[in-house]
Order: sequence, then C-alpha cells, then structure tokens
Amino acid sequence: MAVILATDSGSLARDKAQTLRFASGARLAFRQFLRNPAATVGLVVLVLLCLAAIAAPWISPFGPIQIKLSAKLQPPSWAHLLGTDHFGRDVLSRLLYGARVSLSIGVLVVAFSMSFGVPIGMVAGFMRGHVDNVLMRLMDAFLTFPPLLLAVAIVGLLGPDLRNVMMAIGVVQIPVLARIVRASTLSAREETYVMAARALGASPLRIALRHILRNILSPIMVQVTIGFSAAIIAEASLSFLGLGTQPPNPSWGRDLAEARRYMADAPWLFLSPTATIMLAVLSINFVGDGLRDALDPRSWRTRARAATATE
Amino acid sequence: MWRYLASRLVQIPLILVVVTMTIFVVVRSTPGDPVQIMLGMETSPDAVAAIRKEFRLDRPVAAQYVLWVGDLLQGNLGRSIRLNTPVTQLLTERFPVSLRLAAGAMLVALCISIPLGILAALYRNTWIDYLCTGYTVAGFAIPNFALAMILIYVFSIKLGWFPITGIGSGDAKTAFGVIGPYILPAMALGTLQTAVLTRLLRSSMIDVLMQDYVRTAHAKGLMPTSVVLVHALKNAMIPFVTMVAIQCGYLIGIQVTIEYIFAIPGMGSAVLSGVINRDFPVIQGFTLVIAAFFLFANLVADLLYGFLDPRIRY
Amino acid sequence: MALLTVRNLTTSFATDQGTIRAVNGVSFTLEPGEVLGLVGESGSGKSVTALSLMRLVREPPAKVEAELLDFEGTDLLRAPARTLRDIRGAGIAMIFQDPMRSLNPVLTIGRQLTEPLRRHMRMGAAAARHRAIELLEMVGIPMAETRLGSYPHQFSGGMRQRVMIAIALSCNPRLLIADEATTALDVTIQAQIVELVRRLTKNLGTAVIWISHDLGLVAGLCDRVNVMYAGRIVETGPVREVFYRPAHGYTIGLIGCTPRVDQVGTPLTPINGLPPNLMDEAPLCPFLPRCDVAIPACRQTRPALRNLPGGHAAVCLADLTSHHRGAH
Repeated sequence: MAVILATDSGSLARDKAQTLRFASGARLAFRQFLRNPAATVGLVVLVLLCLAAIAAPWISPFGPIQIKLSAKLQPPSWAHLLGTDHFGRDVLSRLLYGARVSLSIGVLVVAFSMSFGVPIGMVAGFMRGHVDNVLMRLMDAFLTFPPLLLAVAIVGLLGPDLRNVMMAIGVVQIPVLARIVRASTLSAREETYVMAARALGASPLRIALRHILRNILSPIMVQVTIGFSAAIIAEASLSFLGLGTQPPNPSWGRDLAEARRYMADAPWLFLSPTATIMLAVLSINFVGDGLRDALDPRSWRTRARAATATE
Repeated sequence: MWRYLASRLVQIPLILVVVTMTIFVVVRSTPGDPVQIMLGMETSPDAVAAIRKEFRLDRPVAAQYVLWVGDLLQGNLGRSIRLNTPVTQLLTERFPVSLRLAAGAMLVALCISIPLGILAALYRNTWIDYLCTGYTVAGFAIPNFALAMILIYVFSIKLGWFPITGIGSGDAKTAFGVIGPYILPAMALGTLQTAVLTRLLRSSMIDVLMQDYVRTAHAKGLMPTSVVLVHALKNAMIPFVTMVAIQCGYLIGIQVTIEYIFAIPGMGSAVLSGVINRDFPVIQGFTLVIAAFFLFANLVADLLYGFLDPRIRY
Repeated sequence: MALLTVRNLTTSFATDQGTIRAVNGVSFTLEPGEVLGLVGESGSGKSVTALSLMRLVREPPAKVEAELLDFEGTDLLRAPARTLRDIRGAGIAMIFQDPMRSLNPVLTIGRQLTEPLRRHMRMGAAAARHRAIELLEMVGIPMAETRLGSYPHQFSGGMRQRVMIAIALSCNPRLLIADEATTALDVTIQAQIVELVRRLTKNLGTAVIWISHDLGLVAGLCDRVNVMYAGRIVETGPVREVFYRPAHGYTIGLIGCTPRVDQVGTPLTPINGLPPNLMDEAPLCPFLPRCDVAIPACRQTRPALRNLPGGHAAVCLADLTSHHRGAH
C-alpha cells in the first residue's frame, strides 16, 4: 500500500499550468532531454563524430590508405596521434574515414528498416484480423534468423557492396521495428481522438498518417537509436570477418582484424578502433535512453512522490 | 497446457519452412556459377555439369527445395560439396563444440549477472549501482571480438594464464587442458549476455523489492537474506530465467566472430566457410539446425515461465 | 507499565522542495490488551505512524525521530537491527490493506505461514506445519491441511485476509496493527473479518491499533481513539467521549460526513478545502483553513493540548460543547 502524502494541490496546479504554457510537446521533451546529463553528453559526442566523419577529407592528417613503410608500427606520437599500422598508415586518419563508413551504414540500415518496418507494423496494427496474423507470423519467422549469420550469408553470397550490407543488417531489424510500430498503432487506434476523427468522416489513410503516426513517433525514435548502434557493431563484425568493407578501404572492423597479428607488439592498433566503436555506440545508446525518458510524460513524476514511497 | 504446447509445436516447422526457403533462395542468388567458382576455372565443363547434376543444381529452384525437404525428413541433409562428407556428420562434429562454448558463455554470464543484478538493485543509486550499471553499459557497446582481443592480450600474451587455441584438437591431457581453451572464448562470447541479464535482473529486482509482499516479509521479522534471496529473488527470477533460455538459443547464432578469432571448429565457422565456398548443403543444413535450436530454446523459455509462476497455468 | 509508549514521534522525508513531515510530533501510549483506533483522512499520517514505530519505513529517504519509542522496555529507536527483527512478527505484528498484494504470489501459503513460526518460535518443520493447520482452522479456513499447498491467487479476498491474520497472530504478538485491513474488502466480508480479529485478539489478550478512515468501524471496535490530521494527533480519548462530545473542529467535520443509519435522508456535510501541505510548519492550527467552528483566537495563537474530563484531550482553542450530541 503506497502512502499517498498530500502535497499542496494548489502549488501543484500552478506548476502544471506553467508547463502547459510551452507551445509544443517537442520543446517540452527537448528540455527534459537536456536535463539528462548522459544523454546530453551523448548527443554532443554523436554530433562531433558525425561532423568529424563528414569533414574527414579535410581534417585527417594523412590519407587513410597512404602507405609509408618506413614508419610502420609506430606507437602514438605527436606526428601520428594514434600511431601507425603495419603499412605505416596513420591510425587516426583511418579511424576518421572509417567513421564515414560506419555512420553511413548506420543511417542506411535505419532508413531501410524503417521503410519496411513502419508500414508493415502500421498496416498490421490498423487492420488487425487476418492481415495482422499473417504479417506477424512472417515477422516471427524473420526474428528467428540469428542476425549475424543471416548477414554473413547475404553479404558472403551476394557480394560485399554497400547495398547488400545495408540489406543484410537491416532485414533482421525490420521485424523488431514492425512489432513495436504495431503495438503502438494498436493502442493509438483505440484512442478517443482517432474514433472522433473517424466519426467526422476522415478516411483511414488520413487518420493513419496524421494521428497515429504522430503517436508512434516516440517508440520508433528509441528503436531507431538501438538499430543504429546495432548496425555499427554488425558492420564492424562483417568487416572483421572479411565480408564487409574490403581492404584497403578503412573500416573499424577491418582495422581490428588486421590488428590481430600485431597484438603483442602494437596494442594501440586494436585498442583505438575498439575505443572508437565503443564511443560511437555508447553515445548513441545514451541519446536513445535520454529520448526514451524525455518522450514518456509518465517519467516526469514529481520528486516528492518518489521520495515518499515507503519500504 | 498440452494444447498450448501442441500449437507451438505446429508453428515451429512452419517458421522453419520460411527460414529455410529464404536461405535456399539467397544461396542460389549468388552471382556466377557457384560450382565453377568452387572447382576453379580449369575444370572441364563436363565435370562442372556432372557436379551440378549430382547436386541437383540443374533443376528448378522449387523442385530442389522440395527434394531437399524430402531428404531432410528421411534424415539426410546432403553432402558438403567441398568436403564430400555428409552434412549430418559435420553437424555431429561441430554442434557439441558450439554447445559447450555457449554453455560456457552462459555460465560466465550467470556467475556475473546474478550477483551484480541483485547488488545493483539492493544498493540502488549508490556507487555500487553505478558501477554495475556502468559495466552493463560498456558491455552493450563493445563488440565481442574486440573484447576477445583485449582478453587475449591481457590473459594470454601478458599474463600467460589461458591458452588461445586447442579446442577440438583432442590432445589435452589435464582437466585444465580440456576446459582451459574454452575460458577466454566463453568470457568474450558472454559479454553481451552478461550486460543484458544484469540489466534485466536489476530492474526485475527493483520492481519486486517495491512490492507489498516484501514489506510483509520484513514485517514478519525475517532475516534480510531470506527476504532478498527467497521472497524477492524467486519473483524476480521468473523473467530472468526465461531470458536466459532465449539467450541460449541466440548464442549459437552469434558465435561466428569468436570462433573465427579462436579458431574454434563450431557451427558458426562452418557456416562462414560454407558461405565463402558456396557450399550450399552446408549452409542450408547448418542454418536449419541453428534456427531450430533457437525456436526450441524460445519454446522452453515460454514453458519455463508457466512452470515457475504458479499464477500461470496454460 | 504501558505496552507501547510513543513520545514526540516525527517522520520526515527530505525532498527537493523541502522537508515533508508525514508524522509530526505524535505521542500516545498503549496498555496491554487495549484496542486503540487511529482515524483520519488519507494523508493524515496514520499509516506512516504505524510503519515508523515498526521501523519499516525506508530510512533514508525518511528520517524517524522521537523522544521516546518504547515497546515493552525496548527502545525501538536505538535497538540494533537484530532486536528489531526479533520484535517484528513476534512482539508487534501488522496486517495490511490489500491481502492480494501483501502475500507473496510464488510461495505457498503454508510456506508463508510456517516462516515466522520457524524463525521466532524455533519450531521444526513438522511442528510448524501442524501449528499452521491449527492457525488456518482458527481463522475459519476449511480443509486447512490441503490449503497449505495453495497459492494466494487461489483464494478469495476475504480468505486471503484471514490468512494474513493467521500469519500475524501466529507467534502470539502483544500488539497487532491493522492498517486499513478491511478497506479493500466487500462490506459483508468486512464485518466477518472485523469480528474475527476482535474475537481472536480478545482471547489472546493482544493489544490492537486499528487504523481506518471508517469512523463507524472504529466506534464499534475500539476502547480509545486518536484522531489525526496533517501528521498530528488532534484529539484523543475514549471512543464514547470523542464521538459524542467531539472537541476538535476536524472530528466534528468527520462525524458530520459519516452516514448514519438513523438519519437516512439527512444531507452529509463534507469538510471544505484541500488536504494540507505537509511542508509548512503551521504557526497556527493546521486545520484552520478548513475549520467551520474556528474562533477569532484561532487566528492568533497556536493551540496546545487541552485536557478534558474523562481521559479526553484535544488540540483546539474553541469550546465545542454546543456541538455535542446526547449519549445514545
């Protein structure tokens, strides 16, 4: 039995009125997001990473495939901030260019999975019945694919170009996204405002696009961040196995694979890509957590209530 | 209860059909003639044609699939094109290795996640919690092969405690010789699982610890250990155990990178070399088994839920 | 010697907006075998008082302080954790409002019954089981032996509460605290449970603290009653005195909004206003904003405890004898 302590309802009402004065829910959510230190730091890091990746050709000190055998396997120094690899290539430059690969794969995978997952989920949730059943069974079937293995099969058999990698990694994310979208659609469908819209004669398509889509935006956004970070790790795994980005093109996973042979003598070779991957994934995950908390009004509880829950 | 089981058991073959059909089609969409690629350019066209005929590659895809299923139902998964051994034989060699690796990884994951999850929940929002949660956050962000390299560097190269190779070689003399080579791969493979499970147990325990019946247990004057480990944990374990079962099924599918690093002759590396060599029967047979195992693990997870929670009776 | 002595108990919660005093200077005593009622609206601090004296409130974020918190000679404030655990269940027992949520869903009720027996009475498994069956029969659960293996969800609400009573009384506690024990039950079941507790505690000589917002319940059951408002006791006394000769504006308000069988058709008078802000250290009477019987002095002086005849006392400046009813 929770102890409900009465706080002054008057002051609570005043607070509520104040928050409602903000024009849009988006602004409210953004402010809530900024209150989360991890999420804010994550967002900053992510933005910096994206900027670094875009600006790689201009800011990287050396070319990523520029070989200089006289300088091979050098530890980090002022000349080469992260050292060099077995071909004398600058590690930092390779990582910067590798960021372009990883981040663009992430974006492509997310776009791919959303363009299939969202419509499938919405159709299933909106129409229900047989259509829903069939679609969900199909999604279940795809969920049973061990994701990496399917990616290995697709890329290994169909060739390591960008389109195949995007499909391979994206295909297994579709069912998860579809399920989430379906669940949100199902509950949004039952909302009174949707029934009101139908009563006013709005066509199903219009309802779907205007009302429901806005409602399911928040779980989609959260899932998107998860998918993005999963894509980065999947691309790294594929490149590591030799199936993704082909040498001599830079890729974080590829760098890790090539670092294996020199592990004992040149630990910076495998530590740098590891740290970069972790940095990217962590910042995306923090942003995702922050999004989830910011977009769920229920987590904006008054702090007094939290403190008064008894044991 | 039996009806539920029956309906699930019916669903499994249907899903497997979709999975295997997809793989079938993907495998046969590879650019170029797989047999030619495999045998090399010098082979005579007659030899190539003969091999194609032997492996039914001259027939339409649908027919190939039906024939394959027919063979499957008789226990025959075909022969590896490259190694010329029955796929079933390869499976019996490799599946136990993968199982052992998965079991080891799960063991590591359980040993770490159960105490960490409980501690993080008990000491919520203190430094202990932050440490445990920080650990799980890092676990989500590091690819298992990267962790494997770090572990190899620290424990094998620098400290010399554990060997890197030796699984499946059969010349181990001591108990440590048998288990030793599994340790580092199991630790690396188990990272993501540890993160997931710790997170889950922590939030599960936090929910449970706020429940009224925990307060009742305290009001009865029971020892705190009893309250936490019996009253609370028994409830929190339910979703945890089902997740463990699901993760077990999932593990076999993601082993490939670890097998690659440690040269482990398991299921994942078989699929990998099958893919590289365009060895259709191997790809098909192994994917089937991996998917079936995953489905089976999920079924076990659902049944476990009903078994552990007395409120649910199918 | 009194069974329980509470002097100036204060339970506060530190929040970002200030300190909330859920219990603010509560004092009372309880004699062995006495039945005391604790009434007040939601948020008045009744439950927190009970949880505080059993030290079941999470500290931090709560802080429990008192001049004296004595149970049978043990200082509950300074006692080590071990002693507190010995007292809980065996010295003081508690039953809660919602029996479905207060029983562990994955343990059999046999297990939940025998636990305190084995812990406090050091019974072996067989003896505890035997005693558990006796207890179930005592609270009126048929086929007790087979029910030992049942789970809480297999019982109805009233039966579950009976089980909770059995658990609470299993080690013969000297004090039973019933926190809104009947609120979640049907009215007919309520009567059964109340009667059960009354009978059992009378036989065992257990003192009872009945916490309720139901005045009728408390009136019929208790020897004495404490009326709480905003974390303080505003009136205390024998049940007849307090209900027939209320001496505090809040008590009058409470009585006024209780339906009476002999006054069917008469409108109920609700108490105006909202519950108080527990963060304010009211310099004046906390009930003043809502009080119908306030006098000018109430706006200047803070009321202190005023003794009235018959063991009756109230924290009120007004003389409210005009509101008294004759004794029925």
